[in-house]
Amino acid sequence: MNDRNRHSDRSRPRQGGPGPEGFSDGRLVEVHSQIARNKQEPALGFSMTPIFVVFLFCAFGFWAGLYLTRNSRGFSASAFDLDAPVVSASAGPVAFEPDAAKGEKLYLANCAACHQPTGMGLPGAFPPLAKSPWVAGDEKRMIKIILLGMAGEVEVAGAKYNGNMPNVGSALKDAQIANIATYVRSAWGNAADPVMDTSVAEVRKALGARGQLSPKEILDAHPLGK
Amino acid sequence: MTQEQRSGRPDEDRARVSRVDAPLRGPFLLLFGSAVLWLTLGSALSLVAAFKLLPAGFGSCEWTSFGRLEAAARNAFFYGWAGNALFALNLWLLSQLGRFEIRNGWMAAIGGLFWNLALIWSTVSVIISGPGAYALLDFPAGAGPVLAVAFALAGLWPVVAYAKRPTGHSFAGQWFVVAAAVSFLLAFVLAQVTVVWAPAAGVAQAVAHSWYVRTATLLWLGGSALGLGYYFVSKVLARPLHAYYLASVAFWTYFLFAGWTAPASLIGSPVPLWVQSAGVVGSMMMLVPVLLVGLNLLGALSQEGGWSRAWNSTALRFISVGVVAILFSLVLAAWAADRSVNAALRFTSFAEGQGVLLLYAGVSMTIFGAAYAALPRVSGSRWPSAAAIHTHFWASFLGAVGSAVSAFAQIGGASQTMAFVGLVSTGLLLAGHLAFAANTFATLLKGSPAPESHPAQD
Repeated sequence: MNDRNRHSDRSRPRQGGPGPEGFSDGRLVEVHSQIARNKQEPALGFSMTPIFVVFLFCAFGFWAGLYLTRNSRGFSASAFDLDAPVVSASAGPVAFEPDAAKGEKLYLANCAACHQPTGMGLPGAFPPLAKSPWVAGDEKRMIKIILLGMAGEVEVAGAKYNGNMPNVGSALKDAQIANIATYVRSAWGNAADPVMDTSVAEVRKALGARGQLSPKEILDAHPLGK
Repeated sequence: MTQEQRSGRPDEDRARVSRVDAPLRGPFLLLFGSAVLWLTLGSALSLVAAFKLLPAGFGSCEWTSFGRLEAAARNAFFYGWAGNALFALNLWLLSQLGRFEIRNGWMAAIGGLFWNLALIWSTVSVIISGPGAYALLDFPAGAGPVLAVAFALAGLWPVVAYAKRPTGHSFAGQWFVVAAAVSFLLAFVLAQVTVVWAPAAGVAQAVAHSWYVRTATLLWLGGSALGLGYYFVSKVLARPLHAYYLASVAFWTYFLFAGWTAPASLIGSPVPLWVQSAGVVGSMMMLVPVLLVGLNLLGALSQEGGWSRAWNSTALRFISVGVVAILFSLVLAAWAADRSVNAALRFTSFAEGQGVLLLYAGVSMTIFGAAYAALPRVSGSRWPSAAAIHTHFWASFLGAVGSAVSAFAQIGGASQTMAFVGLVSTGLLLAGHLAFAANTFATLLKGSPAPESHPAQD
């Protein structure tokens, strides 16, 4: 029986099926299961494909494993975002480590619009953070400003600024503020100690709910070092 | 394509109905006819909803608010059009490949009847009392079990046809279709239980819902469409698929990872981090089956003038566009699952554009192509109008692409111009679907000759 001619019926419209040279269904299944058994098509010559696919598959699998272990926080049911502390099943929450790299990302997202990615501020509008005495020394000064903002005239590096900084930090977590402060205190030639999340928590608790601080209030509590 | 349309002698107007196709006729025409009705209804609802996005708008009637129209249109497209059409086409395809002559076709017809009754009930309920919280599960609770039973009656025939195939040989198209049917029923029942009837606690509900949406979209609609793609590419080109021995890897990886892409839509929400990360990994891993399916299908199309032959065959013209769109939308989904990209795209219209590409340019076009091949063989009459086919192709192609472009262009923010482009595209889709509906019903009304007496199975 001629398999190939069986379905190529002249009365069938072309859009009603394949052209006269199309596969019959029986032959279509047969040819393909033959290929699947022999795993090669010598006439078409792509013997390199399986090797390539194997490598690619391995690469994807490797990446997937790496990504999952790095971004799952120990498969904890109570870790919801990448900023969550790493939790190990036995030891409870791992202690906070100040991380300037995370701080830099947060700085760029929350602070750089005014203080600039270079930390130089904008002359006449926003004071610089680079080598600023406000940043160095007592960490509480900086934490307070980030938490509550500051309104009033200040003098930084010989220039006067009459700024109005909003309370950027009220929406950020203690650990995030600690990372931002750590980054700012170590970038652009600053060289002050890293800040722990516990210090931020302490300051936040002591301040309670209130509006922006004035420069005088801050300097009274935490005078600038020389 | 055109010279085929001129009918010479009266009997030239008839296509041959094979022994396999003859008993399919009743259920196939019922299911496909209702699918086309849902398609036009859904497109009309979409068009009204698209008007709502223009400032001029109209009316403030609750029944015609955007949310209700959009939900009703989505359900009509998803369950009414794609669902019914895939019942018919999957049954047809597996009957062809397994030389299966259906005996209890009335069961499929009853299933289709109840499926449609439940859908009418839920569409009316969505319009009158508003959609529920969960897209694609937003029909009245009572309709869920009816739909599940109706699916079991109408949608599982491919499994029967596969089990009864005469030889041990099988083809990738069959695997995709069988697995698509089984996984939809499984996902639907589980989603009904965990989201509607005995809601899981807290965020588990959202996870279950996202899993259902991805499974239903990627496995049932996408899997069935790829199954049809495997069949028609090889069949019309009359050549084996490129690197076919990789098709089994493509199949298993596709069905393994598609469900795991679900949590990618929950990145940034309060579900456990590892679930979100699994979604990212699942979406990226989908690139493996995308590559392999591309190698199989687009590889075959790229050899020896395959594309021009595809262009000259009505069925394959639609289907090759559909397959390319499905693969492209999956690549986009993988890209958007990357955490930093996702942070920028999360609450934008990006997902909508990607969904349009997958469903309207991908799945829907594939179904159209398969229907252009299957309907004449089942009904025994040819498509009456080539002009309508051309109109249908260009209107639905440009409509789908335009809708996607309109959604992508509004990622940065709503734009009146682009909302207008969206409206025009939705209008184009409706025009194309009306052309298709007119052509379909003209075919059905022409009637059919009795099946031939000599064996003509193929």
